[in-house]
Amino acid sequence: MWSLQRMLRQPLSRALALSPSRLAPLTARKFADQVQAQPDNVELFIDDKPVSVPPGTTVLQAAAQIGVEIPRFCYHERLAVAGNCRMCLVEVEKSPKPIAACAMPVMKGMRVKTNSDLTRKAREGVMEFLLVNHPLDCPICDQGGECDLQDQSMAFGSDKSRFTDIHFSGKRAVEDKDVGPLIKTIMTRCIHCTRCIRFASEVAGVDDFGTTGRGTDMQVGTYVEKMFLSELSGNIIDLCPVGALTSKPYSFAARPWETRRIDSVDVLDPLGSNIVVATRTNEVLRILPRTNEEINEEWLSDKSRFACDGLKRQRLVTPMIADSRGNLTPVEWEEAIVAAARALRDCPPNKLLAVAGELADAESLVALKDLVNRLGSENACTEQYFPLEGAGTDLRSSYVLNTKIANVEDADFVLLIGTNVRFEAPLLNARIRKAFIHKETDIASIGPKVDLTYEYIHVGDSASIVKDFATGSSSHEALKRLESAKRPVVIIGADQLKTPEGPALLAYTQELALRLQDKLADKEWKVLNVLQRTASQVAALDIGYTPGVGKYLQDGPKVVFLLGADAGVVTREALPKDCVVIYQGHHGDAGAAIADIVLPGAAYTEKRGTFVNAEGRAQQTLPAVTPPGKAREDWKIIREFQIPRFCAAWIQRLPATRLMSSVHLVGGRPMLRLPVRGAIPAFLGTPTSILSPNYVPDCHSSFATR
Amino acid sequence: MLQAIGAAARLSRTGLSRSLPAFSTSSRLSAEDPARRKEAPIIDNETVFATPEEAKEKMTQAVAITVPTKVDLSSISGVPEEHVKNRRVRIYQPPKNAMQSGTNNIHHWEMEFDTRQRWENPLMGWTSTGDPLSNLKIQFTSPEEAIEHCEKNGWIWFLDVPKIEKDFKPKNYGVNFAWNRRTRVSTK
Repeated sequence: MWSLQRMLRQPLSRALALSPSRLAPLTARKFADQVQAQPDNVELFIDDKPVSVPPGTTVLQAAAQIGVEIPRFCYHERLAVAGNCRMCLVEVEKSPKPIAACAMPVMKGMRVKTNSDLTRKAREGVMEFLLVNHPLDCPICDQGGECDLQDQSMAFGSDKSRFTDIHFSGKRAVEDKDVGPLIKTIMTRCIHCTRCIRFASEVAGVDDFGTTGRGTDMQVGTYVEKMFLSELSGNIIDLCPVGALTSKPYSFAARPWETRRIDSVDVLDPLGSNIVVATRTNEVLRILPRTNEEINEEWLSDKSRFACDGLKRQRLVTPMIADSRGNLTPVEWEEAIVAAARALRDCPPNKLLAVAGELADAESLVALKDLVNRLGSENACTEQYFPLEGAGTDLRSSYVLNTKIANVEDADFVLLIGTNVRFEAPLLNARIRKAFIHKETDIASIGPKVDLTYEYIHVGDSASIVKDFATGSSSHEALKRLESAKRPVVIIGADQLKTPEGPALLAYTQELALRLQDKLADKEWKVLNVLQRTASQVAALDIGYTPGVGKYLQDGPKVVFLLGADAGVVTREALPKDCVVIYQGHHGDAGAAIADIVLPGAAYTEKRGTFVNAEGRAQQTLPAVTPPGKAREDWKIIREFQIPRFCAAWIQRLPATRLMSSVHLVGGRPMLRLPVRGAIPAFLGTPTSILSPNYVPDCHSSFATR
Repeated sequence: MLQAIGAAARLSRTGLSRSLPAFSTSSRLSAEDPARRKEAPIIDNETVFATPEEAKEKMTQAVAITVPTKVDLSSISGVPEEHVKNRRVRIYQPPKNAMQSGTNNIHHWEMEFDTRQRWENPLMGWTSTGDPLSNLKIQFTSPEEAIEHCEKNGWIWFLDVPKIEKDFKPKNYGVNFAWNRRTRVSTK
């Protein structure tokens, strides 16, 4: 009776405009480890090759296990099974009809033939139906060259067309939809695989896409004209097996065979997603995700994907020095370096300040810290603040995601404190949503009520709730769930820690996490997570930078070295009038605007730089293009100050790999050791450092030869 | 060595070790690691029971010419020294193109050199480069082969191994319609 009521109630609740996936009951859950042990595997034969898989596996998955790839359009391994394109039809012995391999569970002793006459005929038939209504516009289609329909019609399609209706009713034509400035739709090309619909509702959690009509009238769209407002929207461009959804910024820009793909790492969010940078003629054309199961799976956030057009605009291409009227005027490297070195040399050590920005790589961070330390100062800090009360940043576990991104999937209860994960780390949010949907994980949030794309328990907006949770005095349901969870996760947003109550918030969160941690049966599981906001922060803290500039600005620095510090925490108003600001970075932004000396650096697609992501994973970007104009790699610029002049020429003769390979990763912490420190060959004579008082610029410097 | 990376990745729940690149070592090809041998070599019966003459004859047969295991071709390969010493080789498995579902062309290992400057040729608009090694992408069946090739040529290599294997989980069409689970889909 009860279950009947539930069933009857279901459509009603669906009619109430909420996705049913968000209405699943909070009770009657199973943790992943409570699921019974795997029963015996099922053996079947695919193309007469035996394969043994767990029961419930689909034929397509079983075939993939032994390397037999069955063609597909609608099936995607990270989305739900739809089974509507029929391209995966295969023959099964003793079955009267071919079966859809993507949806059919395996049966014992099944004999699947993926390359029989019947299978090939079925595929050819499906291909023919798809092509009847697919326009022949491959020459002007952006998907051309990397189109599944193109490939599969070559491999499995018929060699001739029986389509003769061109003069009578013609091919189906569908009006294009407008879903925003990033995704271009050419809906006539759509083959109704529904991958975009499934991605939107399952992964992005924005249930806007759907189909209307049936048969030849079927259309994929948003019902009413509406923008696809998701931070992961760009992924439907990748998912679309044809050219129905293409990238608007990249439209008609290049063919895939013209581009050169360089694997790299993204730095625009703290997760360090793996990317492929597609370039042509020293220009970044587009950025695609690269599979890494431990970070971004196969997705990429829109910021990382579409921000590459900014790499061409507003770049710093030449060294600049402010003239007597305060205008930045282009100069040669030599002049800029000497001017900056003089300023650094004449600065009292305690009045020197180095500020690292959001996109600084570990190599340049190390080089800058070495420079500052060598000048006798300890004032190296990052823009992003982190409380230094208690252990501060002494322990690495207090400022990284200890659970690790991939393990968040296995959590059974997630508590978010003061973080909108959806925009701070979209792919971490996608992981939480994946756990929410597939592992029945529940989520609670302390902080402003925001749309996280999944339903969560909103505990409240006040920081005092964290204290109640930590002491156990709260009677909230979320705390009980958290305490009874086997694999709880607590994620605190680093932005919250800037506030006056930040230190207390962090301390109570740590206390709560520790209390939960102590009770866990699984001692390997880590509870506490701090979600940093920027790609450079973890590396900077690892290297020994002090988080936050506040107290250094109060000291009234004489020279400020901004390493890509563009967040606007250092302003002219906060600095003394006579302070010299040296800015090194790749874009003309807040930092360059206040600078007296500008040193152009390289962006993340132009240099090899180590970045440590929010979970503490060190990864390297690879250079895809060369820096524009006179811009150079960042660590080399900073080294110019530090190494004596003779040595600068000497270092250029050294193989670059020798220098770069001296970036060691010690327990995930990058450390740069250059062979030149204190090891200058005697035949070079007494080196004159650019920082020494008797230095005279000479024309044989390394910059002149560059 | 790859097995070692894999084993470490399986052991640690964090899986961090998996993406740590392995850097080249000159001693890699020198000799087999004695620590990996579990026990002393087994002496076969014939050797034990052989007469001194037989043993001597066998010895003379068994004496093999040992060739140094580390072969360095860089001095005779004709590759300019700058390209041997300054370049870094990345050994990797080509990633699947996110735009396509086919995987037939990625089941191998490749090596490539670091990218150097390219520019648009004013004559035809084609891409030019002064780097003779920019198109040298060699395919291998295993990373060991690639490493050996690099060591032979004296190139400094590193291995880039992100985790790309997805954990196996059976797919189920029925969950789309489960009435009490969140996997239920709203639209079809």
